[in-house]
Amino acid sequence: MFSNLIVGASEAYLGDSLFVLVVFIILVALVGKFAFGPVSKMMQDRSDKITNDLDNAARSREDAAKLAAQRATELKNSKSEAVEIVNAAKQNGEKQREGMVKLAQEEVQTLKQNAKKDIEQSRLDALNSARDDVAQLSIEIASKLIKKELSVTDQKSLINSYIEGLDKQNEIR
Amino acid sequence: MDDKYPIISILGIRFNLANCLSVLVSAVLVFALVFFLSRKIALKPTKRQNVLEWIIDFTNGIVKGAMPGEEGKQFYLFTFVMFMFIFISNQLGLILQIKVHGVTWLKSPTANPIITMSLAMIVLVLAHYFGVERLGFGNYMKSYIKPVGFFLPINIIEQFTNFLTLSLRLYGNIFAGEVLLSLLVKMAFSHGPATMLVTAPLQMIWQGFSVFIGAIQAYVFVTLSMVYISEKIEMED
Repeated sequence: MFSNLIVGASEAYLGDSLFVLVVFIILVALVGKFAFGPVSKMMQDRSDKITNDLDNAARSREDAAKLAAQRATELKNSKSEAVEIVNAAKQNGEKQREGMVKLAQEEVQTLKQNAKKDIEQSRLDALNSARDDVAQLSIEIASKLIKKELSVTDQKSLINSYIEGLDKQNEIR
Repeated sequence: MDDKYPIISILGIRFNLANCLSVLVSAVLVFALVFFLSRKIALKPTKRQNVLEWIIDFTNGIVKGAMPGEEGKQFYLFTFVMFMFIFISNQLGLILQIKVHGVTWLKSPTANPIITMSLAMIVLVLAHYFGVERLGFGNYMKSYIKPVGFFLPINIIEQFTNFLTLSLRLYGNIFAGEVLLSLLVKMAFSHGPATMLVTAPLQMIWQGFSVFIGAIQAYVFVTLSMVYISEKIEMED
């Protein structure tokens, strides 16, 4: 069967097979050393690098998203914080204003009262001094009148009444 | 066919010098091409490196088709070299055929059954070697009586048919291509310029087709090689 199949080669040449084997082994070794090995390594390196780069890109994108979210929340927080600050300032101002108004009112009240008291005092003083003056005057007038036309009797009665008055005054005192 | 070959005998082993020379030339061409393509390897590939990487990707894909797992990686280099060698060998005879005084010195090495049988033998020896290495000798022997005991003769015959079909398919295709080419050449020189004009386009067409066949046969050879190896190294249940 074999001899029919093998056309063009009357006999099998063992040497050819050995030669093919040797040449093929050497070829595999050389190609592996000089071409296939380095190129395969480079292809592996490249695929590794691409994988790494993709991973890195995904990671940095994640980081960026996280950062953006953080910034957004911070922005929101700062906005609300600013609103709070403004509100607090407003309240403080309001409080201060009220306090000042109240203080001013109280001051005005005290001033008013003081003024009233002073007025009252001075009125009383004036009244008193006026009364004294009137008494003095009346006494002077009376003494002048009395000096001029006071009879003895009258004088006596007057003195008496005066003394009585004094007594009464003492009694009152 | 009726070609004569230079044959010498060393230590009782007969060498067909035409075969040896053709194999050597093919191997040197493969190495030169691959060496040329693999200069200045960089992470960003240049044109040459792209070509080489494309071929390597292609042959790696063939291996992955048969052995998708980690176990296929050890065959990447073998498949690449085998593919390149058979492809260049197939094309060699289309470009270059040297005959001196009727004795053939250079042609496609794959147009000779001894060479293709040697290549198929390398593949099958590798398949059986890795089968024993991977499964252990017991499991390797058991694989012959799977799925059932009476498959034993079929399984044994299959080893020989694998060997013969693998080698003779390649041989037949390339040999037939070369026979037709030489017939066309003979026809061209038979009746002067007239037949030359007629056969020139035919020759061109057939050469183009042979390039195609050579590529296809190289692909088929390594694909089947990987299938046979994967059959041997994978535990069937």
